[in-house]
Amino acid sequence: MNPAHPPSRAETKWGLQRKLILSMLLVGVVPLIVGFALAFWQGSREIQTVNGENFKTLAEETARKVDLLVSDEVARTSRIAADPSIIHELEQRRDALLGMTEDERRRSVDELKGGWEAKDPTAVQAITGSRTAGLLQEYFSGAHSEADQLIPQVVRSATKMLYITDIEGTLVAALTATPPVANKDTAWWKGSFHHGVGQLFIEDVHFDERAQTYVVSISLPIMDRIRYGAVGVIHRVIDAKEFFTPSIAPIRFGKTGHVMLIDHRGIVISCPILPTGVPLSNVQLVPLVTPLHAGWVSAPSDGHGGQSTSIIGFAPVTETSRATNGDLSKGSWHTFVWQASDELFAPIRHLLTWMAVFSLVSVGLMASLGYLAANRIVMPVRRLQTAAQLIGRGQLLEPIDIRSGDEIQDLADEFNRMNRQLEAAFAGLTDQVAIKTQQVKSLLHSTDQILDAVPTPIIMVNQNEQVQYINRVGRESFQTILDSTQSIPLFDMLPLDAAVREHLRKEFRRVRNGENVEIASGAEDAFVVNRAHDPLAPAMGTAEPSNRQEIQIAERRYHYQWFHMAGENQGEDRIGLVFRDTTDDSRLQDQLIQAEKSGSLGTLTAGIGHELNNPLFGILGLGEAIEDEANLNRIRSYARDIVQHGRRMAAIIRDFTGVTSRETSDQRQPVHLELELDQAIATLTGSMDPSGLAIQRTYAGDTCVLALPDQLRQAFTNLLMNAIQAMKGRGTLHLSTSLADTSAITTIADSGPGIPKQHLSKIFDPFFTTKGQGEGSGLGLTVARRIIKKFGGDIRIESQEGSGTSCIVTLPVIPLLPPP
Amino acid sequence: MHRGNVSLYAVALTVLISGLWWGPYALSAKERPGSPGIPPEKVAAYIYAVIKADRTVYTMEIVNRLQEKGVTTASEHWEQENTLMLPAQFLQQGGKLAAESGSGVRYRLIGLWPIYRRNAPASDLERNALESLRKNPDWPITGIVTSGSKQYFQAIYPDFAVSPACINCHNSHRLSPKRDFKLNDVMGGIAITIPLE
Repeated sequence: MNPAHPPSRAETKWGLQRKLILSMLLVGVVPLIVGFALAFWQGSREIQTVNGENFKTLAEETARKVDLLVSDEVARTSRIAADPSIIHELEQRRDALLGMTEDERRRSVDELKGGWEAKDPTAVQAITGSRTAGLLQEYFSGAHSEADQLIPQVVRSATKMLYITDIEGTLVAALTATPPVANKDTAWWKGSFHHGVGQLFIEDVHFDERAQTYVVSISLPIMDRIRYGAVGVIHRVIDAKEFFTPSIAPIRFGKTGHVMLIDHRGIVISCPILPTGVPLSNVQLVPLVTPLHAGWVSAPSDGHGGQSTSIIGFAPVTETSRATNGDLSKGSWHTFVWQASDELFAPIRHLLTWMAVFSLVSVGLMASLGYLAANRIVMPVRRLQTAAQLIGRGQLLEPIDIRSGDEIQDLADEFNRMNRQLEAAFAGLTDQVAIKTQQVKSLLHSTDQILDAVPTPIIMVNQNEQVQYINRVGRESFQTILDSTQSIPLFDMLPLDAAVREHLRKEFRRVRNGENVEIASGAEDAFVVNRAHDPLAPAMGTAEPSNRQEIQIAERRYHYQWFHMAGENQGEDRIGLVFRDTTDDSRLQDQLIQAEKSGSLGTLTAGIGHELNNPLFGILGLGEAIEDEANLNRIRSYARDIVQHGRRMAAIIRDFTGVTSRETSDQRQPVHLELELDQAIATLTGSMDPSGLAIQRTYAGDTCVLALPDQLRQAFTNLLMNAIQAMKGRGTLHLSTSLADTSAITTIADSGPGIPKQHLSKIFDPFFTTKGQGEGSGLGLTVARRIIKKFGGDIRIESQEGSGTSCIVTLPVIPLLPPP
Repeated sequence: MHRGNVSLYAVALTVLISGLWWGPYALSAKERPGSPGIPPEKVAAYIYAVIKADRTVYTMEIVNRLQEKGVTTASEHWEQENTLMLPAQFLQQGGKLAAESGSGVRYRLIGLWPIYRRNAPASDLERNALESLRKNPDWPITGIVTSGSKQYFQAIYPDFAVSPACINCHNSHRLSPKRDFKLNDVMGGIAITIPLE
């Protein structure tokens, strides 16, 4: 790690100790939280279930209580309704009403109504002071009742109105002056009278204008004495709150737990908290808590304005509900048991709080113990780490001493063992490295010595033309001391002119690219050497100095050679350049050539002199003889001889000049090979006796070559002459032409004695001859070869001593010409 | 099944006896010249036969059968508990509907030990009839009763504990004043009232 860089987030290292503490905490805390959540969930559920069941039971109990309360009142009222005097009174009234016309009935009702509402004492007296009203009063006060049938004080005060109507709903008797006269159209009256059949009718809670409070009412039909039909209705209006509060309000548990009585619409009949007559705060709650069976529910609100989830127990007030609004289907009353959720779940919240506190303590303990434990584990690991660093640096001198008795101690032992082994291994390795280094050094030294001892300059160049090594001779030759810190470009070091430098650079690039430079140059060299032996050969244009692997540096001439050195270990390839000082060699060669040339000239001069001398001496002798001779015939004979000698000399000179002067000639033209061959043999055989000579011809046909006809004929003449002379004019001469690819091959074979092996290499040399004095100039073959070569062909001599000689002439063929 | 048979026997016997009892009445009424129609005793007998038959069918074929098969039971708060109504409730409910129909006929169950006070005898005739039927359930008690100026014919027939449902309820109900009824006891009577005008 580079300490200059602050550690980035990704590089943040978590130490082993931290990880250990964290894992211990995770191992402890995660199950703790899970357990916690499960316990809370389960606890909540159980609290819900237990409380729900309790609430349900309480609701049922209260419903039963309310039922009894109501049925008690119904029973008390029905006792009044069963009073024979009242029945008798109402039967009479019924019979009287049945005897009246509709108008009479209406009139009497209106009359009563007017007086009653005007508080006319007579009318009021007729209702509240009648005998029936007196009976009502007696029942109400308990004068007629037995001890167990007394109306309790609470109920008495809760009864706001108690009155009786006849079969027309008209007020007959009342305790007070508050009731209305006509009740025929009220729901309770219709429900209770029930078309004369009569039934119990309990009215839902509602606000009563006359009583000025929320009331419920009990209406009972007063049946005739044989219970055949209703003769009237007794109606009791009861202050709901006052009536039910003694039964409902005392049922309290905890701070908020209580029971309430509601009807099927969710209107509160009695509740310790809510006022009577108000609906439950949440309408959605009503269907949940008003089924016709007991139960409990976890409702989304409490009905008291709270929106928290609430456990609500409920039960129908069954007997009373049967009579509410005349029928069970038209209305029902229900008890409702509720406790605030806060209070309900307070125990489990307390538990949760305490558990949380203890959990925190546990987590703290876990963290501290975890720290201690992690420290105990991590300390030896840190010591191991330090030791490993020391081992890495080779500085661990003392063995690691860890006595933890566990895997870490084993690891420390392993470290110690590894350290010992490493030390041993390193010791051997150091010795070997020293030996090898020494070997490499001496190798380098000896290589340097060898290279320095080499008498030719050697230069190593890298791919960028920079000189990397130069041996001693090189340094001396090029006056360069290679500075290791500063490499010199190769072409700056060599003092060369621009053209040569450019040529060398091209070669360098080719070598660098892996091409071979030597082969082409070598071929050129060989050609140069061959030509150097022919002093008479005209210069065919001098070869460019750059094409040769020779360069002139200062006053010295060097032959050079490139070589390629593959770099070691994928290193850069290097190019080597070896020089060979050929200054002295060239000089020697020039001298040799000069000597050769001089020798040839000497031979030539001697040959010419010798050739010309003989006839000349003959001419001189004959001339002297002519001076002294008087015989004309003899003189003529001598003169003929002189002419012959002269001709001979002329022939010699012609031959000689033919070597040098026939070069310049006309344009080349297509020549028929066989034609020229035949003319040549014809010319030769014309001047000799052909009897001993057999000529065999095997011609390929009309073979055309591009040549000068005279010269080609001269060449053939020379070759044929050699052949005939070799056979001494007797034997078989075999002439043949053939075509091979682009060449026409002419073969002249004789049956002469052949050429000795030692002469074969010299037969093309000028003036070399095996013929006797005066027989040949030694120039025939030389001339023939030069001519043939000029036309792009070649001559080859194949000979076996004793079995003749073949002279094979190859010439490039051209398309066939029509014979002239 | 045994109990059912017994009940059936009892019902059949009652019908037979009442038929025998009312037979001469019917004949004598028929013989009486200038009085068309049926005597109220006979009408009451007809009505009773129908009521009895209905109640028997309901008790035997519905309540007892379904209870035995474990399909459902009969209970007082049948509306809330989704059960069958008790046979007594069946009869009373029928009586209520008959009354509400406006036909003028009334019939109801009465007893000397009613669970609800409304089912106590309403008149002396009823009370006396119940007392006498307890001792001699073979014959119905009849009479003319008046309510003010109105006259009614009333016949009170004995009502037997025809089904275990009857005695179970009466012997266990918290409002029941008597709790030692046995099967086929006379538990009360069926009072049939017919207006006479």
